[in-house]
Amino acid sequence: MEIVVCIKQVPDVPTVRMDRERMTIIREGVESVINPLDYIALEAALELRQKAGGHVCIITMGPVQSEVALREALAVGADQAILLTDPDFAGADTLATSHVLARAIQKIEPFPDLILCGMQTTDSDTGHVGPQIAEELGLPQVCGVNEIHREGKFLVVKRLSDGFVDTVKVTLPTLLTVTKGLCPVRDLPLGALEAAFSTKDVLEWNMTDLDLKKEEVGFAGSATQVRRLRTPPPRGSGDIIEGPPDVLVGHLLRRLEALSILDEEDEKK
Amino acid sequence: MIRYQESTISAYHNYLVNDTLTPGFSVGDPDSQEGFFFLADMVQSGEPAPRISARILDDHGVPLVELSENEIRKNSGGCIRQPPSGGESLILLFSGAPLLEVNTRSFANGYLTIIKAKLFDENGELRMESQGKSIRVYGDANLTLCTPFASSHKSSPPK
Amino acid sequence: MKKNRLSDSIWVFGDYRNYFQNRVTLQLIAKGKELAKELDKQLIAVVLGDQVHQYAMEYVAHGADVVVAGEDPGLMEYQVDTYTAVLARWVEAFKPQILLAGATSFGREFFPRLAKRLHTGLSADCVALDVEKDTGLLVQTTPSFGGELLAEVVTPDHKPQMATVHPGIFRELPHDPDAFGCIIYPEIGPLPEIRVKRMRTRPQQTHDIRLEDAAVVVAGGIGLGSKELFGMLSELADLLGGDVGATRPAVYAGWAEEERLLGQTGKNVRPKLLISVGTSGALQYTTGIQGAETIIAINRDPNAPFFKIADLGLVGDAVTVLPLLLDALRKRV
Repeated sequence: MEIVVCIKQVPDVPTVRMDRERMTIIREGVESVINPLDYIALEAALELRQKAGGHVCIITMGPVQSEVALREALAVGADQAILLTDPDFAGADTLATSHVLARAIQKIEPFPDLILCGMQTTDSDTGHVGPQIAEELGLPQVCGVNEIHREGKFLVVKRLSDGFVDTVKVTLPTLLTVTKGLCPVRDLPLGALEAAFSTKDVLEWNMTDLDLKKEEVGFAGSATQVRRLRTPPPRGSGDIIEGPPDVLVGHLLRRLEALSILDEEDEKK
Repeated sequence: MIRYQESTISAYHNYLVNDTLTPGFSVGDPDSQEGFFFLADMVQSGEPAPRISARILDDHGVPLVELSENEIRKNSGGCIRQPPSGGESLILLFSGAPLLEVNTRSFANGYLTIIKAKLFDENGELRMESQGKSIRVYGDANLTLCTPFASSHKSSPPK
Repeated sequence: MKKNRLSDSIWVFGDYRNYFQNRVTLQLIAKGKELAKELDKQLIAVVLGDQVHQYAMEYVAHGADVVVAGEDPGLMEYQVDTYTAVLARWVEAFKPQILLAGATSFGREFFPRLAKRLHTGLSADCVALDVEKDTGLLVQTTPSFGGELLAEVVTPDHKPQMATVHPGIFRELPHDPDAFGCIIYPEIGPLPEIRVKRMRTRPQQTHDIRLEDAAVVVAGGIGLGSKELFGMLSELADLLGGDVGATRPAVYAGWAEEERLLGQTGKNVRPKLLISVGTSGALQYTTGIQGAETIIAINRDPNAPFFKIADLGLVGDAVTVLPLLLDALRKRV
């Protein structure tokens, strides 16, 4: 089975700090990691390769520094890695990002049987890119998958959706976005990362390689624009109540009523 | 351009006519003294059941039965009203076969009435016929009554 | 005249699965109507399925001016491919200005595909929506970096302006049985073949309910002191129709499963109400819950930093407060 895994390098959330004056992310000192759910997609791809044979190709769109993420994926066991990078790719929303990724996947030979993405990223958290790649490539999609089984030309997958556990059968080729619980993420074998830097190549494709025009990609190819960033309004500290337990419970019940979580107590019958 | 059907609907109760929801409808002239008519009146919130008035004729144009707000008034055809078995249904039998069936489904906050019948006018022309889940009507009809006919038609007769 | 009503309007996708628990469509109808009034447009609810009469009526009762309905056995199942085909066709024909859906699992799977087909922008899981009267632009406020930042997003040159919206942010209008609306049944057109076949669907067991979707979250920290006391949070959550979350130390202590972990390395929740018991207020934890609409804190220590972000802080010992609270709730619910 030929598998393409789309990954994204994201800031490691616990290290992210805001510049509250300028309303930007402080890039200094922020570590970058493979988006956690993309890592699960990668592990799932490797597991499927182990059972069904084939190859795992990793792609990412991002600045040249994203190569580190691809090297890490190679170290874990991916066969091939492609970096989609071009100054004009910057500032892309999901519409433009999915366009570049879909174009790159079309260029990969043979065309993959399966494309895997993480369901969401920890930075922008949209979950749009997977379904939008599927749409551009005309493939079926299943989002939020946490179990994959291969049955001939089909995949049988399980996912949680709005209070239901769905088991669905999907034709190949297809695109799946995966979530927690699919498979455990293993630790990198000692020395593997160093080996991946010295022995394996990372392909690099730019706008010209992908036969794309400037107006289709990056900021110019995006439909949405971020007008401004702001921090959530600080939560004013509310009432602090001290007193015996029954008084505290009384306060809590009244608040639940005010929030319509609890019906108001009936008038005396 | 895409073709589409349009109607008014009520939040409380609707009939399903020509595959479309509507608060009330009439076929033929409900004020006529002899001719065929069928009036499925608008139901106001709080009212328990739809009100059907009709003059029903056979396929040769011979009067069979007249209904006024669900009650049998004239019954020259000897129609039998079957006691409702499944809730709010009105079932009229002619010669042992169903002539008219009115079935109201209740939702959590509203009602939907489905009518099953095959009805002809005084000229023997087919005017109403069940088709799938909906009733289909032919000829002169007012497909959206947004106020109860009984209260509105005295001041302004229907067109 | 007919054309005016449908074009330029605000459309809300009617997601009626799990109705009546899932109220996000009604919340969007209310918010959409408010925005529509500012722009002097109509609020239209779109509903697809087989036998959707009941939902059409509900949407009218809750404020929709118009319901656009697609009745077809082929639309009975919520399928991204079929729903995208029908809605894309209708959007291209009727040209709404704004198209909204609840950020349910389905909404978040369906809308990206639809936006791509319509070649327009989409923002995810919005927590605020506003319109600019002069430009007609929808200002979509969406959280990023796990709620650390709010981004105001606009879609200036593409139509419709699309957004999915976090459930529980807006308040629905009361049910009005005397309301009237308009219903429109456009041609559905050919449906694509089903490539994702549903084999089995079962309701989630309580243990795999998405904590992220709960309207009420009861969270416990190490300050509770014992597994037994932490266990009481489950009953409290049940009584309030919510779910239980935990801080990292509570998970380490073995009081709760890893799936219940809230915060930077766990889940981000944005419930209507968060009750946090015995949590001191480590940043690691608070970033995961600060999107909650209301936060109630119970803690022994009046100086606990967590009180600073609470809307209501109760200084007391969970050992005595929790059993008393459970008693009172059992009598009420």
